[in-house]
Amino acid sequence: MSYIEFKDVCKQYKMGEIVINALNNTNFKIEEGELVVIVGPSGAGKTTALNILGGMDTATSGKVIVDNKEVTRLKNKQLIQYRREEIGFVFQFYNLVQNLTAKENVELATQICKDSLDVEEVLEKVGLKDRMNNFPSQLSGGEQQRVAIARAIAKNPKLLLCDEPTGALDYKTGKQILKLLQDTSKKENMTVIIITHNSAIAPMAHKVIHFKNGTAEKVEYNQNPKPIDEIEW
Amino acid sequence: MKKALLKDSIKEIKNNYKRFLSLLLMAFLGVGFFAGIRATSPDMVDSVDTYYKDQKMYDLQVISTLGLTQNDIEAIKKIDGVDIVEGTYETEGKLEIDNKEIITKVLCIDELNKPLLIEGQLPQNANECVVEENFLEQNNKAIGDTITIEIENMQNDDGEDVEYLYNKELKIVGTVKSPLYISNERGNSTLGDGRIDYYIYVSKDNIQAKDTYTNIYVTLKDVNKYQTASSKYEDCVNEVKDKIEEIKGERENARHNELVEKATNKVNDAQAEFDKQKQEADQKIADAQKEIDDGKIEIENNEAEIKENEQKAEVEFANAKKQITSAKQEIQANEKALQTKKQEVDSQISQLESQRQSLVEQKNTLNTQLESLQSTYNQIVAQLQNGELDDEARKELESKKQNLESQIQIINNTIESINSGITEIEKGINEANSQIKQAESKIQSAKTQLSSQEKQLNTEESNTNAQLEEAKRQIEQAKIKLQQGQQELDAQKQEAEQQLQEAESKLIDAREKIAEIENPEWYILDRYANTGYSSFVQDKESVKNIGRVFPVVFFLVAVLISLTSMTRMVEEQRTQIGTLKALGYNKIQIASKYVMYSSLACIIGGLLGMNVGFILIPSLIWRMYEVVYQIPEFLISFNWEYSGAGLVIICACIIGATIYSSVKELRQEPAILMRPKAPKMGKRVLLERINFIWKRLSFSQKVTIRNIFRYKKRFMMTIIGILGCTSLILAGFGLKDSIGSLMPNQYGKIFKYDMQINLKDGLDEKQKQQYIDELTKKQEIEDTLETYMTTSTAISSENEEDVQIIVPKNQEELEKMISLISIYNKEKIELQKGQICITDKLAQLLGVKQGDTITLKNGDEEKQIVISNVTENYVYHYAYMTKETYEELYQTQYDTNAILTKNVEMNDEQEENLATEIMNQNEVASLSMNSSVEEVMNTTMESLNYVVVVLIVSAGLLAFAVLYNLSNVNISERIRELATIKVLGFYDKEVYSYVTRETILLTIIGILFGLIGGYFLNYFIIGTCEIDMLRFSKIIHPISYLYAILITVLFTVIVNIFTYFALKKIDMIESLKSIE
Repeated sequence: MSYIEFKDVCKQYKMGEIVINALNNTNFKIEEGELVVIVGPSGAGKTTALNILGGMDTATSGKVIVDNKEVTRLKNKQLIQYRREEIGFVFQFYNLVQNLTAKENVELATQICKDSLDVEEVLEKVGLKDRMNNFPSQLSGGEQQRVAIARAIAKNPKLLLCDEPTGALDYKTGKQILKLLQDTSKKENMTVIIITHNSAIAPMAHKVIHFKNGTAEKVEYNQNPKPIDEIEW
Repeated sequence: MKKALLKDSIKEIKNNYKRFLSLLLMAFLGVGFFAGIRATSPDMVDSVDTYYKDQKMYDLQVISTLGLTQNDIEAIKKIDGVDIVEGTYETEGKLEIDNKEIITKVLCIDELNKPLLIEGQLPQNANECVVEENFLEQNNKAIGDTITIEIENMQNDDGEDVEYLYNKELKIVGTVKSPLYISNERGNSTLGDGRIDYYIYVSKDNIQAKDTYTNIYVTLKDVNKYQTASSKYEDCVNEVKDKIEEIKGERENARHNELVEKATNKVNDAQAEFDKQKQEADQKIADAQKEIDDGKIEIENNEAEIKENEQKAEVEFANAKKQITSAKQEIQANEKALQTKKQEVDSQISQLESQRQSLVEQKNTLNTQLESLQSTYNQIVAQLQNGELDDEARKELESKKQNLESQIQIINNTIESINSGITEIEKGINEANSQIKQAESKIQSAKTQLSSQEKQLNTEESNTNAQLEEAKRQIEQAKIKLQQGQQELDAQKQEAEQQLQEAESKLIDAREKIAEIENPEWYILDRYANTGYSSFVQDKESVKNIGRVFPVVFFLVAVLISLTSMTRMVEEQRTQIGTLKALGYNKIQIASKYVMYSSLACIIGGLLGMNVGFILIPSLIWRMYEVVYQIPEFLISFNWEYSGAGLVIICACIIGATIYSSVKELRQEPAILMRPKAPKMGKRVLLERINFIWKRLSFSQKVTIRNIFRYKKRFMMTIIGILGCTSLILAGFGLKDSIGSLMPNQYGKIFKYDMQINLKDGLDEKQKQQYIDELTKKQEIEDTLETYMTTSTAISSENEEDVQIIVPKNQEELEKMISLISIYNKEKIELQKGQICITDKLAQLLGVKQGDTITLKNGDEEKQIVISNVTENYVYHYAYMTKETYEELYQTQYDTNAILTKNVEMNDEQEENLATEIMNQNEVASLSMNSSVEEVMNTTMESLNYVVVVLIVSAGLLAFAVLYNLSNVNISERIRELATIKVLGFYDKEVYSYVTRETILLTIIGILFGLIGGYFLNYFIIGTCEIDMLRFSKIIHPISYLYAILITVLFTVIVNIFTYFALKKIDMIESLKSIE
């Protein structure tokens, strides 16, 4: 059995009388320690799938299994616990707490976790050792995203879920962020899932899942993922 | 406004209905409260004014110490501006129902102060009456029942007692409300326990004591245009009052003269009558004396006569006795003679007897001879008869016979002669005997005669004596009678003299009294003299003052709330604003959307609030006062002035806030607007610099503190909201505490006595002492203090107030009854010589302090005196001075007129019994129990408890509105942050505490400030609510702080529960979606 399994996952939204099928019998598998890139056009269901996987949303039907745990069966509180202990999220807009310094933003996450990593070490890893006492507004976009990543990985999650982490960043910074994610995956053997609409970065992943019309249409495997430095777009 | 924009505006309301509703609610509450509270006071005045106008309530009232006359009425009628002048009769009566003594005011139905008929009908006949509704309820009576009322006789001008009513038995024919008694207070009486329980109305026809009026009621011509208690009304009344004041002296004199004249006439009449009676009495006594004297003379005469008769009788009897004695002697002599004769006769008789004896012997011899002769004869005869006898023999025999016969004859003759001799002798004896017998019988008869004479004489004598005795006795009796008569006469004389003396002294008294007839004093009173009215006016002022404070709080909050929510709304719609701006709409057009949005909320909410407020709040507040006041109908009127003002203010507040918040955004360029608003920069707070504190704080504490300082506006508003809530509640409870402490303070701390007994005038020192001794003997009474009490007007340059002056007989003993505690140093006050000590509130109203001089005015007399100290006091105004100070100041002899007593613990019934007992004593004029004063006051004060409830409810609404709104704004503003931490895996509780920690801290700060604010608000409210007569102590009990805290916490908790669910509902995905 794979580390992560999506089995016939459906997600329907009801907007008045209209039913929107955000996910439609989605099936895919991800192994532990893999770096997965999910690509697809807007509205293909990438984020929905990620949200369901991250315990932020629930599936209408189907099964999601993570590390032998059936996430789709978890109750609200268990879902929170699941998010808290097993998932790290990175968003496009960083979602840092503006009123907290970089370090404090990381601490915000670590203080609720049992096996959290050392905050300063993590910040050092993401290259923000010198700026950890700065507020988000004093940091550049890339730096903020690093803080966000640091916050996600400091919890020592099983899964690192990144929804368009470079969407708001320039090329260079974006690349640095992707590198950080790839390095983390490799060094920590962390399962990292990145959503992007930039299929160019696909070669960096072990697995590329293509979403279209609410399902994982195609899964590509790279035997040898390229380091991000080697990828140009 | 363009059509599309209009549509957008309306849609906005639909979409953002919660915000719209919250604005609407603020407007509703703001206007409702403002208009409602503001309208209450005018509504109260309006209600009482209408009632008064309907019932023709007096504007001015004249009462006099010596009654009022028709002339007084005429005099007042002549005054300009006076409309109706009417004299009436008011008194108090006693009735007993179920052994309960009830004191009632007895009024009569007139044109003015007409009672309002509630049920039944007004009295038509002299034997009917109407009562107040309570009377029936509380005494189990019904219309148609009869009551018997006892009223003390009145004295007419001639000093005669007149029954007050013709009919004492009155049939209840209806129930009424009297405009004269709009409060529960019925006033004091000299009857019973001194408190009037009810009023009843009787027909004027039933009044017998119609000599003088007790009251003259006056209505004025021009006042109907004005509302009672308005300044114009008061000006109008005062103008006429001054005019009546002008004729006051003249009328008083007139009345005085009238009384003097009447009394003089009466005294003169009485003098004449007295003289006449005296003369008559003298005459009568003289007559009686003469009669007695005559009687004496007669007795004397009689006595003389009796003496004379006695002497005469004595002489007569002596003569008679003498005669009798001589007669006796004669008889004795006769008897002696008779005796001698008798002896003589006896000797003769015995001679005769012996002669007779010899004769008898002779006779016997003869008889014997005769017999032998006879026998011989018989033998012869027998022999003769015997035929055988020879003649001779015969013859012899014959001869012998013859012889014998002759012998017999001779013997017979001799016997015969002897017999005759005997007979002769016997005759002689008999004769002698009969002579003696005759003499004897003669003597006997003489004796008998004499003895009968003697007897007669004796009888006569004894009769005469008896008669004389009788006559003497009669005289003696007559003498006794006469003596008695004399004694009686003397007694009568004495009595008559005494009576005359009394009458004379009465006359003298009466004359003296004429001199003593005091000048009557007129009291010209306006409606404020009516206890009910004056407390009503004070209450309406309190309501008015409260109406000034509270709406301000609400408006303030409305501004804050609308400012935050509109700012938030505008911020949320930045992009849209940017778009509109980019499309070419100008600032005004764009802003108009928000202005319209908020205006609609304001106007709808305001109009609703206005309508609800105008009806609900006055009725609610009135419901509290309804307990105390009896006004037939509470009139609620729609007041455009207040509602307009309220609406304008709330619109200004909310629309102003809207414009302020939209203008801020509108200034920016569309491009900037269309980009998401740069999140507020995180900042270090000052506290972080203080490392040693900051280091010690936990992570979440740090976050909380940072957040608090980040959202300064919200921070301020939350604190203000909580502060407002806490302080309102605290002020509410504080008000209750202050009011609640009023009575215990006054009647526990300051006045330690339980009862005040006012003594009748004119008791001398001895009588008083005797009464006090008697009083002290009562078990119920622990201690007494004699004092002098009088009312005066205290005047300073700023103000004047009535004050009760207390001059204790013994200063040292005063502190047992009344504590004088300086407001300056809280120490016990010693009364200073030549100075006065006044009470706290009086000093405040007069604007004077220790060392200042005030003027005491009694009538025309004005006295200046220095204030030695100011003492704590809570109810009414008092001034204290020593006996010496009083005597020196007024140049008069000190005299006490009241007794303060301290009683043992008693229940109500015992107290009532004691009061009745004391009231029944002659020395007592009136009595007041502090407990009953306290009770009455407490009832009034109870209504203020509702004010506290209103305060708490409004505080709650306020707190809720503020906190709920702020909490919503908080969540909406920080939704990404909250979603983020949810994504990070914060449990619901952790998310909640992440947010609430701030709220809790702010609440704590708010409460702390609120307690301080509440203290000052309480101070302020008490300052504005305080009635001139009372001093509210500005105390707040610790428990009230606790209540304020707890209630605030409760409201916070309720809001936080809402927050909890709102936080739980936050949709992470939606919230974290990229900003469009």
